[in-house]
Amino acid sequence: MTDQLLYAQLLYGGSGIILVLLGLWSFLVHAPLLRKLIAINVMGAGVFLILVAIAYRGIDTPPDPIPHALVLTGIVVAVSATALALAFGKRLDQDAEPE
Amino acid sequence: MTVLLTLFDLLLTLTLLGLAVVTLTSHEPRRAVILFIAFGLLLALVWARLRAPDLALAEAAIGAGLSGALMLAAARRASGRKTSAAQSRDAEDAP
Repeated sequence: MTDQLLYAQLLYGGSGIILVLLGLWSFLVHAPLLRKLIAINVMGAGVFLILVAIAYRGIDTPPDPIPHALVLTGIVVAVSATALALAFGKRLDQDAEPE
Repeated sequence: MTVLLTLFDLLLTLTLLGLAVVTLTSHEPRRAVILFIAFGLLLALVWARLRAPDLALAEAAIGAGLSGALMLAAARRASGRKTSAAQSRDAEDAP
């Protein structure tokens, strides 16, 4: 039972770490704004996955609610930041058009 | 039961990581955004597996749906700008 819990936490937490590294690599390598935004969103998904894997306590016990609250807030903040960055990019494109 | 759950976990994580790699290495903006929406829906499935149904609902509605729609609009704008730039370049190249 404990082995199963440890295995699930390691699997999902390791996936979260790999997602963070993939997103960081893509953010540093690719130039366009939309690809950078997708990379940042994938990085955030990796962080959320690490937190939820830490909160997981087995298939039949309730998980830790505090990381869940943090992740729920983080999803909303990530979408807001994405919308703000897209608005900035649109305005930059409008300023770059009439050259 | 345990073996089935282990297989399901492995399948879910491998699919998630493969989808992330394909999303981050796709050059075309529209394709990248559609793959990112698929990634968000699979992440909602992962959170349903980790006993967080509230996060699953929030991710499917906000993370995949809303940001996917915003990014799709931006990708359409980017591709339209690219094609118009290509058209103007073709017009300059034409004698």
